[in-house]
Amino acid sequence: MSGPGIVAYLVVSILVFSVGALGVLVRRSPLIVLLALEIMLNSGNLALIAFSRRFADGDGQIFALTVMVVAAAEAVVGLGLIVAMSRQKVDLDVDKLTSLRG
Amino acid sequence: MAVAAWIVLASPAAAVALIALAGGRISGRVAGWIASLSALTSFVCSLVVFSLLLGENPDERAGHVSTLFTWLSTGTEGSGSDSVRIGLTVAIDPLSVFMMLVVSGVGFLILAYAVGYMHGDDEERRYHAYKAVFLFSMLLLVQSGNLVLLLAGWGMVGLSSYLLINYWHHRYQAVAAGKKAFVMNAVGDATFALAVFILIQETGSTDFGPVFGSAPGAIAQGSTMAVLVGLGLLGGAIAKSAQVPLHTWLPDAMEGPTPVSALIHAATMVTAGVYLIARTHSLFELAPDIQDLAGILGAVTIVMAGLIALVQTDIKRVIAYSTMSQIGYMFVAVGLGAYGAGLFHLMTHAFFKALLFMAAGIVIHALAGEQDIRRMGGLARELPLTYRAFLVGSLALAAIPPFAGFFSKDAILASAANAGTLGWCLWSAGTIGAFLTAIYTFRLVFIVFFGEPSPFVREHLHKERFEGPFAMVWPVSILAVLSIVGGFLQVPGAWSAVDDWIHPVAESAEEASGLTAWLSALAALGASVAGIILASRFYRRPTHRAERLRRRYPLATRAFERKFWWDETYDVVFYAPASGTANGLLRYVERPLFLGTLRGLGTGVRDLARSVAQLQTGLVRAYALALAAGVAVLTVVFVVVH
Amino acid sequence: MILASFTDDVGNVLVWAIWVGAAFAFIASGIAVISFGDPFYSALALIVNLASLAVLYLLLESEFVAAAQVLVYAGAVIIMFLFVIAYLGGRADTPWVGGPRFQTVGAVLAAGAIAVEVIVVVTLKAADALGSVHPISASFGSPATVGRLFLSDHLLAFEVTSIVLLVAAIGGVVLGRSVPSEQRAEAE
Repeated sequence: MSGPGIVAYLVVSILVFSVGALGVLVRRSPLIVLLALEIMLNSGNLALIAFSRRFADGDGQIFALTVMVVAAAEAVVGLGLIVAMSRQKVDLDVDKLTSLRG
Repeated sequence: MAVAAWIVLASPAAAVALIALAGGRISGRVAGWIASLSALTSFVCSLVVFSLLLGENPDERAGHVSTLFTWLSTGTEGSGSDSVRIGLTVAIDPLSVFMMLVVSGVGFLILAYAVGYMHGDDEERRYHAYKAVFLFSMLLLVQSGNLVLLLAGWGMVGLSSYLLINYWHHRYQAVAAGKKAFVMNAVGDATFALAVFILIQETGSTDFGPVFGSAPGAIAQGSTMAVLVGLGLLGGAIAKSAQVPLHTWLPDAMEGPTPVSALIHAATMVTAGVYLIARTHSLFELAPDIQDLAGILGAVTIVMAGLIALVQTDIKRVIAYSTMSQIGYMFVAVGLGAYGAGLFHLMTHAFFKALLFMAAGIVIHALAGEQDIRRMGGLARELPLTYRAFLVGSLALAAIPPFAGFFSKDAILASAANAGTLGWCLWSAGTIGAFLTAIYTFRLVFIVFFGEPSPFVREHLHKERFEGPFAMVWPVSILAVLSIVGGFLQVPGAWSAVDDWIHPVAESAEEASGLTAWLSALAALGASVAGIILASRFYRRPTHRAERLRRRYPLATRAFERKFWWDETYDVVFYAPASGTANGLLRYVERPLFLGTLRGLGTGVRDLARSVAQLQTGLVRAYALALAAGVAVLTVVFVVVH
Repeated sequence: MILASFTDDVGNVLVWAIWVGAAFAFIASGIAVISFGDPFYSALALIVNLASLAVLYLLLESEFVAAAQVLVYAGAVIIMFLFVIAYLGGRADTPWVGGPRFQTVGAVLAAGAIAVEVIVVVTLKAADALGSVHPISASFGSPATVGRLFLSDHLLAFEVTSIVLLVAAIGGVVLGRSVPSEQRAEAE
């Protein structure tokens, strides 16, 4: 195989995954959180494709496509929630949503 | 004969069952008749047994036993030395038959009287049922053929006494009195039981025949074991018979209805101690010091109770102290070994004491429950028949011939005169006692019956056709007759029916005879007559002589009125430490340890939960952080493990 | 097999250069997404992220997945995001960070820990196992291969994902509908 080995792809994948995790944990706007979530999912896809290439097995690509579908569905629902929240005049701040407190 | 003896025992038990099962379907009167009828049945069957026993040779009369089944058996099978068999055994011998006759006869009269006395009470049926329970227990006590069954009957009479003393359970004095009686009796029960244990260990049996037969061989005379057995039995006897020092419960027991006082606390239960000593006399003879102690305690009680009775103002309490005093005479008798004389006095005392209580009951009933003699007076005019019955009883009590008390008391004093130095001491106590008895008895007669009717009497007296309900009057009449003629059963110097009858079971000590006997009789009679004269001088007409005497001797007066401070002493010695310990334990051990622990457990869990709940901030980000941190940790774990 | 033929022509160096560029863009745009205050700029950074990811897929001989990535993500999901951001307007702006300090510190630590751990494992421990690469056939990442796999070995996953899409569509509609008039009258 030409280019860097699989290890390099994996390293890139994990770096971006941790960046995405940081974003989910640190940002207060639900919109940005969703975007960071997309990044995490994509980095996971990258790892899958890399392994699929390493073992010459097409199943990894199938898995990655399925993940993509799920991510899209999740983005739909999440954005719908944000729209409903803003319609109910709820503050778009993750820290303010504390009904689970106690 | 055995069948008749079992019927005697079973009849009151059947009455109890019948009254209890019938419940509300029968009226109180009917319950009373059932109880009385059962007592009559017992009496008749006792007469049957008596007559059958009469037909036998005197030597063969003792020793009949009839066992229904083995109630309890311990140890190995067979008659090895380890096994003890206790059967439901009934003894049919002269002593038990004598007691059966007295208990069932007087019991029947009193039960019939109670039908009239308790009429109209709210819980009349309960009363008659309890009375029947008592009768059953007392018969069990006197009829039992072994020590354990005797102890069972012993405990059950204590129970019936408790139930009947606080029959009016809404009065707190009655409840307190019942408790006091039961606790003091329990002390006696405990010592009795200890004595039984020692006997089981030494002789391997509890049946009368084997125990009394082998005891002289198994236990040496005067040894520690003998003394312990004697003390144990004596303890039980003095608790049940209200002798010094376990006597303080008897006056308080007057809280119960008058027929209860008549039956239990005059005629029968309190005499159980005397019966016990007579029955186990062979064991007492192994510890002669203890037997002397019984006599001494009896003498002390005679004098002390007599002194206290001089200042009592409740009609029933005077009679109660007089009971205590008379039982002291019986203890003197059995303490000296004069079993026949003691039992004879038991019988005559049952007659005239029950008579006195029942006559007093008619007076109380007529005055709607008043018992304070200071409010009474002049009742002889209003209730002449009752007055005469009371007079008969008082004369018998004061031992004036030809009334019954004279012969029995005289027999006891004659035995005392014949018994050496100790005997003469006891004789003096007995004579002083006779003097005191006459005084307080006739003090009562003069205050209650003589003179003008007091204002209280004029207001509250209500008479019926026979001065009281007929049901109350006829038993009184019968007892009055018995008090007159009963004494002729044993005339010292002439014939001694009771002594001879009891002889196969308990050989009585010799009485004095000849000149000593005559002198003793005259001295006692003189003391009684002097007492009556003194009482008439003080009380026959309203005078201030009694008041002046009180003021001249204030300390003595106070001692008599405070009953020689026995109750106060017991309070300090026993009650205060016990209740102090109980309260201390409650406050310092139970509350902190148990309640504190439970409460601490609850609050501890709640605090823990509250501190854990602080983790639930509601912040989504925090939860997500927890997830991420967990993943970080798990990664390391997985790598390391692999 | 595109890459193979490509490398024959221009050599390994070019591949390496493209790889470095794409990887760098991937990481940098990821950081950019979480750094901007304005969600609009974050969404734009995400587009760059997705494009660079598609290039990386191509380098791994997975053509179909790269194409699907561009079509689905950059074409649909991002547009959705941009629509919502436009709808929210000013309300979408929120302060950058805030809240409890332990949150930020903990987040950095946790994310950093994960990254470090996995890199250590992958480079040191598993480097030998991951070193060799199986040879692939010519039609490795082609639509034909993927399609055949979907309809034979992974038929269940195929059908289930279609249901998931249906559910998401229904969810989107339900969440987005306007409040019925009675409820609105109650709220007032």
